[in-house]
Amino acid sequence: MTKSSNNTANIMTVNKKTITFAFLALVTVLVVVVVLLRPAPQNITLRFHPFVGDNPFLLNTQSYQNPGGDGEFTVRDFQLFISNIVLSSPTNQINEQESYHLLRFDGNSAFDQIVIPQIKLRSHNQLSFGIGVDPKANGSLMFSGDLDPNSRMAWNWQVGYKFLLLEGTLTVNKQQLPLVYHIGFDESYTELNFDIANKIMPENGVINFKIDLQRLFQKDNSHDVIPTQPQLPQDIEYIDMYKMSHVKFSPEDVKSIANGFNHFITIM
Amino acid sequence: MKVSTIVVTIAVIFIALAATIYSLQNRAPNTHPIEFTAPFVFGRFNVPVDNPLTQESVLLGRRLFYDPILSSNNQVSCATCHKQALAFTDGLKTSIGVSGIPLKFNAMSLANLMWGPRHFFWDGRVSSLEAQAIEPIKHVNEMARDLEQLIIDLNNDELYKKLFKKAYGEISEKSIAKALANFQRTLISANSRYDQYLRGEISLSPLENQGRKLFMAHPDTKVVLRGGNCIDCHSQFLTSGFGSKFDGFSNNGLDNDQTLQEGLFILTQNEAHRGLFKAPTLRNIAVTAPYMHDGRFTTLEEVLAHYNGGIKRSKTLSPLIIEADNIAKTQLDHISLNLNDNEITAIIAFLHTLTDDEFLTNSAFSNPFMADTSDD
Ligand code: HEC
Ligand code: HEC
Repeated sequence: MTKSSNNTANIMTVNKKTITFAFLALVTVLVVVVVLLRPAPQNITLRFHPFVGDNPFLLNTQSYQNPGGDGEFTVRDFQLFISNIVLSSPTNQINEQESYHLLRFDGNSAFDQIVIPQIKLRSHNQLSFGIGVDPKANGSLMFSGDLDPNSRMAWNWQVGYKFLLLEGTLTVNKQQLPLVYHIGFDESYTELNFDIANKIMPENGVINFKIDLQRLFQKDNSHDVIPTQPQLPQDIEYIDMYKMSHVKFSPEDVKSIANGFNHFITIM
Repeated sequence: MKVSTIVVTIAVIFIALAATIYSLQNRAPNTHPIEFTAPFVFGRFNVPVDNPLTQESVLLGRRLFYDPILSSNNQVSCATCHKQALAFTDGLKTSIGVSGIPLKFNAMSLANLMWGPRHFFWDGRVSSLEAQAIEPIKHVNEMARDLEQLIIDLNNDELYKKLFKKAYGEISEKSIAKALANFQRTLISANSRYDQYLRGEISLSPLENQGRKLFMAHPDTKVVLRGGNCIDCHSQFLTSGFGSKFDGFSNNGLDNDQTLQEGLFILTQNEAHRGLFKAPTLRNIAVTAPYMHDGRFTTLEEVLAHYNGGIKRSKTLSPLIIEADNIAKTQLDHISLNLNDNEITAIIAFLHTLTDDEFLTNSAFSNPFMADTSDD
């Protein structure tokens, strides 16, 4: 009795062992397959090259034609916020955490860049980010990413942040006019989407963007063109800096510059 | 955002910042982390990893700060030019040290040095408090002390030997600098009436509040917004220059092209930085006269008169100053905020709310030699 029951027990143990083994083997194979197929983590770099039209942008030393009028302008400071970077593929989405980046063009380098470390990228073909600071962060006192209520980009806490800061001088007929563009307000927050399939350089994970200060001053004529038809460069109208040399709190003026947020960043 | 929300947030998130992390890494001798509090709205701060904020280093630094042993004639200490009652300034137009020859510069207030620009001196020529601390000791007109001799003298003092051993293990130029830097990091001013207002504990008078609003606004005649544009350069909570890169430096119109000083140019050799100076903290500003890097203004009224019509043009003058005007620009040659007398009075009233009596009398910052004698 004891023996037979022992035998039964043995058979059952063998069966269990086989099943467990088969199961473990299967899991191992699956894990190996997944690991092998998984892309190695890679840094993704969004590199922004500033321009004024076709000319590379330089602070202080270089002057440029007033986009919509007479005279030439120089820039003393140019900074802007890029927020909430999202990379997505048809099947998944990566949202960068604390995604508030201040781009600034006052260093020794010809570009500024944002590095998103260790992205496991597979066929991501969409990139999106906001110009400015989203209303939630804009309305709160938080230190996240590059947000800092004691920084130059902060207005006072009731008003929130400047999304874009551009300061300089316009010279018309030897007369000098200060240029001050402090563009903020929740309504100006602009989300941009880019198709990045084949745009990421395989060897270093860089995506190159052009930031064109001229197109920041592009006039809003969305009402009189068919949206699907791309505008020809010669048809674009620009704001005259002389007529609008400072924009701070006047909602209409802010809106007309913030309209340029939709146009001034393109993939190179 | 609602003001009430902010006030509550600030009141609630009055974070206690224990510097435990720093002390856990890098503790050479058996030291103890110092505990301190700072308002959430001051933001992130930096302590170098190789100089954790320890009780031992601050104790030593405080003694060194007040000790004339740091000077060649044994008569000048850091506190000679940085007096607590004057928010660590000296009340002089420009400071005078061992040589008796007036320096080029007005003594700077030492408050909240862990925040704001990471470049020190009016022209930003050093980039850490450690590097800064050695400068006045060596400077011929300030303390003119030979450092090797100083180290020998400190080694002959039993108490210093003990204090250095506990804090850093040894007496060296580095440890002298580190101790002085750490004592100065603890000089936090965060209990002025403005702070109490931000925490929701008090309300400001109507005049002070009007001044606060003017301070915090860049004027825009298009939307009838009046402002003094101070916030363009003095941040809203710290009231100092901005921390990032050289954002905390500007040319606020003190000189024309002929008399423009080098300023930040000394450090960067960038022409666009000629005549740019550090926008200092305005905390305790009512007790730190005279004003500006050369002490040229004796009262806050004179400072406001400068911003309201005394601006001198030069090629690096801030466009924010040229553009800021409370009446629509009619001519471009005269620069003024065009604030009225009542508004000027209001801004000055607001500046007085930045005085922090607790800071000016806090016994933790006072002369330890005086404390010694009164205790015995
Ligand atoms: C003779 C007067 C004098 C003495 C002594 C002196 N200082 Fe100063 N301190 C000044 C002056 C003047 C400035 C501004 C100088 C400049 O910008 O070149 C200054 C600036 C500073 C600053 C820069 C603050 C900032 O916000 O950038 C610090 C920190 C400082 N001193 C600490 C010290 C320490 C520590 C000692 C003692 C080792 C000391 N000082 C001794 C007069 C003095
Ligand atoms: C364009 C930037 C800018 C603006 C705008 C500005 N300041 Fe300043 N402020 C500075 C700089 C830079 C200094 C130091 C200048 C120097 O000494 O060379 C300074 C110095 C001061 C000082 C003297 C500080 C000291 O310790 O000596 C006071 C007071 C002051 N500012 C108050 C104000 C007030 C009030 C306003 C608004 C009406 C204002 N500032 C607007 C940049 C600015």
